[in-house]
Formats: sequence, C-alpha cells, structure tokens
Amino acid sequence: MALIEIRGLRRYYVMGDTVVRALDGVNLTIEQGEFLCLMGPSGSGKSTLLNMLGGLDKPTDGSIVVAGHRLSELDENGLALYRQHEVGFVFQSYNLIPTFTAAQNVEFPLVFTGVSPEERRHRAGNLLTELGLGDRLHHHPTEMSGGQQQRVAVARSLINQPHILLGDEPTGNLDSKTGAEILNLFVRLNRTGQTLIIVTHDPRVAEYGTRTIHMLDGRIVEDVENAQTNPDPELSPTEESLS
Amino acid sequence: MKLRDLFLLVVANLNRMRGRVVMTMMGVVIGTAAIVILISLSSGLQASTVDNFSQFGSLNQITVFSGSRFGGDSTAEGLTPSAINDLEDIDGVVAVTPYEQFSGQSVLKYNRLEGFGSIYGIDPLVLPDMNFELSEGSATLGAGAVIIGSGVGSGFSEASDSDQGQGGGPTGGPRMMFGPGAQASDTESTTEALDLYGKTIQLELTRMSEDGQENRTVRLRVAGVLASSGGNEDYNIYMSMKDLDSLLAWSRQERPNWVQDGYSQVMVIAEQDADVTLAVTEEITNRGYFTMSTTSIVESLNSVYAIIEAVLGGVASIALLVAAIGIANTMVMSVLERTREIGLMKAIGARNRDVMAVFLAEASAIGVIGGVIGVIVGLVLAQIIGVVASAVVGTESGTTLVVTPLWLPVFAIVFSLVIGLIAGIYPAFRAVQLDPVRALRSE
Repeated sequence: MALIEIRGLRRYYVMGDTVVRALDGVNLTIEQGEFLCLMGPSGSGKSTLLNMLGGLDKPTDGSIVVAGHRLSELDENGLALYRQHEVGFVFQSYNLIPTFTAAQNVEFPLVFTGVSPEERRHRAGNLLTELGLGDRLHHHPTEMSGGQQQRVAVARSLINQPHILLGDEPTGNLDSKTGAEILNLFVRLNRTGQTLIIVTHDPRVAEYGTRTIHMLDGRIVEDVENAQTNPDPELSPTEESLS
Repeated sequence: MKLRDLFLLVVANLNRMRGRVVMTMMGVVIGTAAIVILISLSSGLQASTVDNFSQFGSLNQITVFSGSRFGGDSTAEGLTPSAINDLEDIDGVVAVTPYEQFSGQSVLKYNRLEGFGSIYGIDPLVLPDMNFELSEGSATLGAGAVIIGSGVGSGFSEASDSDQGQGGGPTGGPRMMFGPGAQASDTESTTEALDLYGKTIQLELTRMSEDGQENRTVRLRVAGVLASSGGNEDYNIYMSMKDLDSLLAWSRQERPNWVQDGYSQVMVIAEQDADVTLAVTEEITNRGYFTMSTTSIVESLNSVYAIIEAVLGGVASIALLVAAIGIANTMVMSVLERTREIGLMKAIGARNRDVMAVFLAEASAIGVIGGVIGVIVGLVLAQIIGVVASAVVGTESGTTLVVTPLWLPVFAIVFSLVIGLIAGIYPAFRAVQLDPVRALRSE
C-alpha cells in the first residue's frame, strides 16, 4: 500500500454567499521516498491540500489515508497525535519561538510527546549538528540568518522522525542562494528515504523534486515525474550521518 | 505534556511579557494585601474585645439569677438548695454553689485604714472547681476565713472622717475602672497597696434597730489572695456560706431562710468547653432562670465579628475581582499576540488540552504569584498598622490590634490562585478554538 492515498477529496468553504471549492475531487497516490512539489497559482488549492495532509484541516468529502491513518475519521485529539508522530512542518516564515534558543525550538515538539528532557536535548543537539548548526545551539532566532533559522525549523520538523516532511513555500523568504541551500538539504534528506511534499509557485524549486503536480481550481491538472535536473551534485560530509 | 515542561514553558512565557505581567499582578497584590490587612485588623479587634470580656469571669462560669430578681414573671422555682441540686444534674455541670452577695451595710477596716469589697458567700466544697488562681495562700475557706481579690488590698485609705492629721500616702495610687472604688474621690488620700495575706481584717457591720444604730465588728482572717483578673472580681471577698449566713442574720435580725426564699444568685461551673458551657446556659435559661456568662457574651461578640470579617473580606475581594478582569484582559491580549505561536503549537502536535493547560497555568501563575506577594505585603503592612495604631490608641504593651489567623494567608493565596484560574478560562478557550491554519497565516 502506498504511503498516501487520496480519493475524491473535496474541501468547500462558505464565504459570504459563495461556496469556495478549494479542493474539488482530488485523487492522488504518493509513495514512500518521493519528493513532491505542489505548484499552481494562488487559490489553486495547493496549500489546502498540504494542510489536509498535515492533519490541520478536515475534508468536506472524500478520503485521505496517510500511513494507515484515515484522517477524515480522526477527532481533534487524534489529529493532534497524528501531527505529533507522522508529519513535520516547515513554514515560509520559519515560525520559530523568539524567546527559545535554537535547541529549545527544535525540541519543542517533543515536549508534547512526553520524551524526557535529557533525551530531547540530546536529539535536538545531534540534529542541529548534522544540519551544520552545532555552534548555534544556544543562539536565539534573532541572532541567526534567515537560512540558519530555516535550518533550525527543518531540524524541528525532523525531531519526531516523521513519515512526511511538509513545506509551505519553505524558500519563499530566502534569497536564491540560501534557498538553494535549503533545497539541497531537502534533496539530501530525500536521498535518505525521507518523503517530502512542498508547496511552491517557483518553477526552479520544483526542479529539485522527483515529482511535480500542478493544480488549478482545486483539481490536479498535471502530474509529472522529474529527473531532478537541478539537485546539489555535491554530497556534503554530513550526508552519511543523516542516513 | 509533563508538569515540569508546563512549568518551564509558563515561566518562559511570563518572563517574555514581564512588564505587562507585573502590572496585572499589581491588581492581585493589592486585592490580596487588602484581604489580609482588613481581616487581620478585624480579627485583632475581635481578639482584644473578647480578651477584655474574658476578664469579667472564667469562661466556664455561669451566673444564674432567680427570675423574680428582675421582676419577671418567671415560672421557675427560686434558687433554693433543692433547685441547686437540680442544676447539678444538668449534663456538663461540674459544680453549683450559692453566690450570695452580702447586702447589709459594712465597712472594711485594717488598723486605721478603711477599705471596701463585695462580700460573697460560696460553698467551700466547690472552691476547687472555681479555678481560683491564687497569688498567695490556698483556696480553702474555714470559719472566719476569707479569700480576697487582688484589688482589695490596694483599696484601703485613711478614713475620710479620720482625725489623724497625717498627710497620707501618695495620691494617684492604683485606681480601678469599675467597682465600688470608682466613687472614691481623688482628694481622698490613699496608701500603698497592702499585702493582707495572713493578716486579720475587720468587717464593721452596721444595722438600724429600734435602739438606733448598732455596730458589730467581725474579724476575718485572709486565707488567700487571688491573682489579678483585671475585672470586677478583683474587689470581691469570698467567705463560706455559713459565715455569710451569720453576717446576714445579725444584719437582718433574722436568719435567712434559703429553703423558702432561695438564693438571689448561684454560680454554675460547667466543663471547660465553650460548647458545653453554651449548652448548659441554654438549658438553665430554658428552665426559666436568668443567666449571665462570659462565654455567651463572647459567643455573640464572635458572631458579630464574623459578620464584620465577612463584610471586610467581601470588600477586599472586590479588588481581587477587578484584578481577575485584568488577568483575563492580559491573557486575551496574549492569545491575540501569540496566535501564530498557538497555530505552531497545534501544528507540531500540541493537543487542545495542552494549549488549554498553558494558558490556564499562565493565568493561575499570575494569580498565585500576585497572591503570595500580596500576602507578604499585607502581613508587613498589617504589622506596621498594628504598631502605629497601638501607639495612637495607647493600648497596654503586649496587646495587639492585629491578629492574622493561620488560615488567612493560605486562604488568600488559594483564593488568588482560583481567581487567576477562572480569569484564564475564557482566554484559554479562545486559544483552543483557534483554527491552526488561520492562526499560522496570521501576521
């Protein structure tokens, strides 16, 4: 069975007198280890689909099954536990907590899972070191560059060893060079078997993925396999440790 | 989410909005301090009033009057010896004794000095139960013996019609607030207090008869001197009922017939327990007698003060309610400001109850920290007020106008915690109800 199975997925909003069809019958199968890019203009439904996959939004109709979890059947508590264990989020604006250090931000998701403080600290330190931020553990977000902050956010999304890493325009706030660094980080993660799903409207970003889906008006209009034409050819020394 | 993690998170969050938290907390501090101060003052007032009243007699003694003494149409029989036996049978009664005051005309003399005292006849067998505290001698009453209050010895002065030209002792010696001595004028010369223990004093009785005025002197040996109680009792002189009988017989020219007329007063001694004393008092009242006991006075005073305390506490609680609104306001602002953070918490797996716990704990923490500070401030201020008030009012040293009951600080802190918790409910619900998708998009 595929990692993600989406069948007839619909999400309608009522806005005033009109019904907005954010998702209007989406069928999609995603396998473990894919690096999927969701593209499309604003309002095409790509972000809604991402939120749906992340268990932040519930479908109006249809089914979405992720790693055996039927999301439409989970209650609020069930969805929270699903988010705790199965997915990791990376946002456009990093969403780090300003008063926390890098390490504290990274271990924050584990606070809700009951992992012991020692274990949390250990895992956060390891992860940040692997992502090249070993000397930034105790820095606050304001003391770091945008690229560093986003790497902290990536570390946070990985701390619970999720099945899927979800990114909502993760390079949207970064210049092209740091954006490329993050994308290369994603490629390296993907090569270790990590499934990634990223929303973007930048075609260059899509070049890093293994598969690109174009959406329009809540439907999938194009679904292409990528040859990963622009991945980082150099493998960093940290890659071995990531695997 | 573990308690320790919750605690650390709350500390970090409160620290982040320190300025606002401090200002919000001020409301709680003021409210709690007000509760502590007002209740401490009212308790202090209560304690000193009750203390004053307790000087008028032992708390387990009930003075019983026959109904007729007040002109009432009481159906109860007189306080005859058989009635005393009946009173003795009431549950909780330890002993009953006649408590008859000598009603004739008399003057107390010691050498050339004149003194005064209220003479009471009591049953010598009951003496051990009367809890007399003696400064000298023993609590036994043989024939011709008396036990005197501590004030009797200081009440002696040169006789006003004395032909001795002596200047007398220093004026302004010990004076009493109550009792027979109150009539003594300042111009009268007094001597220093006499230690009468073991001495013999004379009681000069006067009666009017057909032959005109007759005098008789009775010699009384002072077998014991009572410790000072600060009340009227300090001017009492106790003798055995038998001795009093003979005094009355001479004075009235007939032996009193207690079996027929009954005593005018008896003293009932109950077990040393306020509730028992009150129950006994009630039972005696139900039998148609008039009673007076310090316990029942103290009891009604206590209920008055309970009301005063409740009113003052209520007034102070208004300050805490206002503080609660402040906490709610601060927390709602905090929810608005941290909307994205709440969205993030939900996205990384915080359950609703985790979000709820964070905001409730923050609000409670503001309440309880403010409460602790408020209690400390209140205790300090109450002590200062107590010292200043004592100085202004001029109470005796040792009496305090501020009493903080042990339960008060605990209550004040728990109350402020609860206020904070309640104030946090609405903001916490708002946080829980945030849609994570929208929360994450908010600016």
